[in-house]
Amino acid sequence: MKLLSTIRAFVDERLGLDVLQALAHKKRVPIHGCSHFYYLGGMALFLFLVQIVTGVLLSLYYKPSPDQAFESVRAIMTEVDFGWLIRSAHSWSANLLIGVLFLHLLTAYIMRAYRRPREMTWVTGVLLLGVFLAFGFSGYLLPWNELAFFATRVGTAIVGVVPVIGDDLLLLARGGEDVTGDTLARFYALHIIIFPLVAFGLLGIHLFLVQKHGMSIPATGHPAKAEVGALCSTMADHEHRVPSMPFVPHFLLRDMVGWYLALALLAALSALFPWELGTKADPFASAPEGIKPEWYFLFMFQTLKILPARIGPFEGEVCGVLFFGLCGLVVLLIPFIDRGGKCRTVLNVLAAVAVAYFIFMTAWSWFSGAGQGALRIMLGSLLVAVVIPLLFPFTRPQTAWRRAVYASFTLTVIAFLCASGWELWR
Amino acid sequence: MEANYDPAARRSWLLRTLQATITITVIAILYPVARFLRPRRAVVSGALEVVAPYKPKELLNAASKPFDFAGKPCLLVLLPEGAERLAQGQPLRADDVRAFNAICTHVACTVTYRRTEGDVFCNCHDGVYDLEGRNVSGPPPRPLEKYNVALRGEPGQEEIVVSRQS
Repeated sequence: MKLLSTIRAFVDERLGLDVLQALAHKKRVPIHGCSHFYYLGGMALFLFLVQIVTGVLLSLYYKPSPDQAFESVRAIMTEVDFGWLIRSAHSWSANLLIGVLFLHLLTAYIMRAYRRPREMTWVTGVLLLGVFLAFGFSGYLLPWNELAFFATRVGTAIVGVVPVIGDDLLLLARGGEDVTGDTLARFYALHIIIFPLVAFGLLGIHLFLVQKHGMSIPATGHPAKAEVGALCSTMADHEHRVPSMPFVPHFLLRDMVGWYLALALLAALSALFPWELGTKADPFASAPEGIKPEWYFLFMFQTLKILPARIGPFEGEVCGVLFFGLCGLVVLLIPFIDRGGKCRTVLNVLAAVAVAYFIFMTAWSWFSGAGQGALRIMLGSLLVAVVIPLLFPFTRPQTAWRRAVYASFTLTVIAFLCASGWELWR
Repeated sequence: MEANYDPAARRSWLLRTLQATITITVIAILYPVARFLRPRRAVVSGALEVVAPYKPKELLNAASKPFDFAGKPCLLVLLPEGAERLAQGQPLRADDVRAFNAICTHVACTVTYRRTEGDVFCNCHDGVYDLEGRNVSGPPPRPLEKYNVALRGEPGQEEIVVSRQS
């Protein structure tokens, strides 16, 4: 024990651990109806750590060349001890991470956590989401299998329809006219060097800002705490009077429950459904049947599928790409667009439509074969059931609104059960 | 029951449970990671005998390009007597050719044959071996592993067979 305290004193004198400890003790987390939403950020951070660790491990065996990439991933899956687990954990946690980030974005929007002075926290968060989507897209090609090859060809071709600079962007993305070994090397460099550097930078700013400004408290807060808010004249005043708990250990232990949930889900998914490898890419073969991107790109994929070849004087694809680009820009700039009053109402309606559109299109594209209506309803109702509980903190108990939320949640669960029953019975 | 209730004991039990859970989780994560880090079983052959990829008349240049023998570079040296015999059109003898495991016994560089000095030399730390593979100067602590050489087939067209004990 004496040795331990000597070491501690030695390190503290040189690195100033006491400052960190004081900071950790100073940090407090507000308690209100939406406190649970705070866990999503911690979960995302945890899943990102899983990505870093498993990604570094995979890079020990992976060989980024068209001749060896597929074989090296196959060797990881079949020859290396626990290679199947590490790769499956990497793929599954990437998907869970994107899902958690979508929810984190949605809850931050619902709480309007982007209000002054936290605009930059929102902007860095949205940019981080973009980086993680790019991570997913670049990582998809690395096993060099048939599905990945065509998904990359299609995905990069979409970049090519951007007016004026499209052709140059396409060449830049592919590293040539077509998807080749150069594309693989480029995507590999992006995936393991460039995107991680960007992500670390943005995440550093994001976390620093969260520390600097403290956690945001929703303007409406929990209905029971509404009167607390009403007594405060300024925002800072308001934030000081909301009950809070210390970050260490109270919130940290609760946060750990979130990490454990994520870890349990990840372990179960990786062990029960190891990630598939498919067949090796052949650049001259026809595209296989039922080709699809990852689920988080499905809504764009489905939109481009149903757009007509020409909309007025423009090509359908160009309209689609510009539309999604515009949507991304609007999401990025929400803190500056939200000016309160009618403007906010319009934003809220647009956000609701966007979420519904995302869910509908994803479910549609996921089961686009004939006779899969029930599966479509299953997936759709499941996604809706995930989103509806986010509304609980905003409705007072025993009111018509709370009853409406309960009713819609019950309806989605019934829809899910009916569709599942129908599937099983058939 | 009330008399036995001790919040401090309950708290320390909870704390120990938490510590145990975290420890178990860390082990459960580290175990597959440690196994993953262990290299795959090597895919080299365990061959005890190999036919060198050189014909007798190519032997003069063979030392410049060691070949793969059971995953290790094998250095094939034609002694000056053998070179003379070949120049005179006489048949080659098995003891005109030496074969070594070309990995230096010092710190595992690959050695080379110096025809002018008549020795085997390691460029990394100036280690010198004689043509029997004995370490004669410089840092190498042990002689090179020497392989057996046998000739098989018609004179002039012999196969050079290199073999080792185990």
